[in-house]
Amino acid sequence: MSRQLHLNVNILNAGVFGGSWRFPGTDATASYTIAHYTSIAKKAEQAKLDAVFLADGPALDPSIAHRTGNNLEPSTVLARIAAQTERIGLIATLSSSYNDPVEVARRLGDLDHVSGGRFGWNVVTTAGSVAARNFGRASEPEHAQRYRRAAEFATHVVASWAARTDLVSPQGRPVVVQAGGSRDGRRLAAQVGEVIFSADQDLAHARAFRAEIRAGAAEFGRRPEEVVILPGISTVVGSTEAEARARRALLDDLLPDAYARARLAGQLGFSLDGLSDDEPIPAELLVEPDAAGGSQTFFRIVKTIIDTENPTLGQLLKKLSGGAGHRIVVGTPEQIADDIETWFRAGAADGFNVMPDVLPSGFDDFADHVVPELQRRGLFRTEYDGRTLREHLGLPLPSAHLEVTAS
Amino acid sequence: MSTAVQLALGVGVPDPHRSDGPTVVSLAAARTIAAVAEQVGLAAIRLVDGGPSGRTLDPTVVAGYLAGVHGGVGYVTEIPTTRHAPYNVARRVLSLDRATAGRVGIALQAGQGDEVSAVTAPVPDATDPTRRWTEYARVLTRLWESFPQSALIGDQQAGVVVDTARVTPINHEGVFYRVAGPLDGPSSRQGRPVIVADLGALDATAVAESVDVVVVDRSSAADADATVTEALGRVGRSRHDVALLGRADLAGYTPATAGTYGDELRDWAAEHRLDGVELVAKGGSDAIVTALRTVVPRLTDPASTPATLRAALGLSEVAAVLA
Repeated sequence: MSRQLHLNVNILNAGVFGGSWRFPGTDATASYTIAHYTSIAKKAEQAKLDAVFLADGPALDPSIAHRTGNNLEPSTVLARIAAQTERIGLIATLSSSYNDPVEVARRLGDLDHVSGGRFGWNVVTTAGSVAARNFGRASEPEHAQRYRRAAEFATHVVASWAARTDLVSPQGRPVVVQAGGSRDGRRLAAQVGEVIFSADQDLAHARAFRAEIRAGAAEFGRRPEEVVILPGISTVVGSTEAEARARRALLDDLLPDAYARARLAGQLGFSLDGLSDDEPIPAELLVEPDAAGGSQTFFRIVKTIIDTENPTLGQLLKKLSGGAGHRIVVGTPEQIADDIETWFRAGAADGFNVMPDVLPSGFDDFADHVVPELQRRGLFRTEYDGRTLREHLGLPLPSAHLEVTAS
Repeated sequence: MSTAVQLALGVGVPDPHRSDGPTVVSLAAARTIAAVAEQVGLAAIRLVDGGPSGRTLDPTVVAGYLAGVHGGVGYVTEIPTTRHAPYNVARRVLSLDRATAGRVGIALQAGQGDEVSAVTAPVPDATDPTRRWTEYARVLTRLWESFPQSALIGDQQAGVVVDTARVTPINHEGVFYRVAGPLDGPSSRQGRPVIVADLGALDATAVAESVDVVVVDRSSAADADATVTEALGRVGRSRHDVALLGRADLAGYTPATAGTYGDELRDWAAEHRLDGVELVAKGGSDAIVTALRTVVPRLTDPASTPATLRAALGLSEVAAVLA
């Protein structure tokens, strides 16, 4: 059978756009109820997706006044989804900076067992002082130090899973997912990541990123095809192109301005107060990405847009639309399928982490119209072949013993 | 008067050679037991962490899973302070409580610290497990109240999701922990999750400030009401604010005498002013199911359907207590 796409849905509370919770027909606070997550997961299972994905950070997002935030702890949400579904994979984000590795290894290994081998762990280092203050710190640990701990933490957790003799799952152990696009993050991805979530606006860059990760994995003694690379893609689906564009325009209008500015300031690591919407961000404020202390991935994306397009601040805010900096694709189901197919065939992606504009409606549109189009083209499964997340992703069962490679 | 009943049970892999702790059953058997627990009006299943009778699954994972299938019974998760930073535990337990519309509690186990909090502990060499428990429980209750449900507005016209003026950091700085808060999600239907403490492992004074349920061993039940009443009084709380449960094995009888055993437990509870009993599962899952069907109806009214765990335990909801 020809190479197949992998698709996850990122249930990012009310949707990736900052104004999603205000979209007509949307229950503003539905994402604060568990049913929002379980019903989207059931829909994802009907659409034969690989997995649902939950982003997370142990903190109240400071932009909570103007947009919904993640608000339920992922391991508990996925335990419930596991009880109410049969096949769909379950991926949770848990911080390596603010957890104990022994505790995480046990809890997540148990969740894998309870779900029948459907769990994946997205390792993140958690940027930001807001989370840091919930664990006694004034600010986050420095970037390289966070990633050193993450590598040790992940190695310990995986070794602990490999050593299990009871309560093992049918997939051997959970899938390790990694999302960092920084230099430190790419190294961690090559070392331990089995699924890589990336953020890329540009096909050529994404293809180079995928090649780099695969080569890096080989250097750590791993097989490149055992790494599945899934860029984030924000989708705005319409039954006509005009309808899709109108939907996007409405979402831009619904974006609370105060939120958009605060969000971008957070991504860039400096205040936007006093800057005009009608002028570009002054170049002297923008450092090189590797020197940025927070999320280097999103700093790099925003800086690339600034460097190539020199937008005014207002134009930049509109382009990002309060989203996480992932690529936004607007169009009919056929147009979105074309885009996905192009990236997939070009070797820029093994599939996508789909971030619908509005939840649940944007995901319903994706599942009901884009997925069938991808299936018609022979790019996506019409039935599950296996029962575990590893089987969905085409990843082999891990060997019983962890091969510890020197870093 | 109805007597609240909680069943203590481990879920995981039983050790066939040991039976001295609470029974450990498989996840499949736990599903069956939870279904029966729902039918007979059990207040909660207390999910044991560890113990001698087998290897247990993480109680929060089991609670999340079982509540996804049988949501009509409460779940109390045993969690030690050891290896768990309080912010993480507060989030996880409140997430479960919100997902179940207010049917979750934590049996917080006194222990050591966690490596994340240890780095920034205000008093680095403090180790006393009891003092740690007291501070930990205080952090939990304050975090659970840091984001009141009423602050979640969702005003689409005005573009306001949360009234941030009503969401307040706790800025806790104690001996063991420094925690800013607030929590990321709003309070639950029962106000906040239930905190359970075991008398014996902890003394009444240490738990008085934050506890909702005190569990006492059978041998110490006679003095427990007076001890707990006095300790609560010293922190300005009433005995009615707390449910006192006596612990008894769910064993030592035949099917024919099970009803009588239920009557004995009810009389025992009444004699010592206990608000309920914690039945420690013994024997195989079939025996547990049979016992639940025969013993529990003698203690509690299956026709009553309390909306929350607090209500099932005869406790007021937190909002009412705070008003």
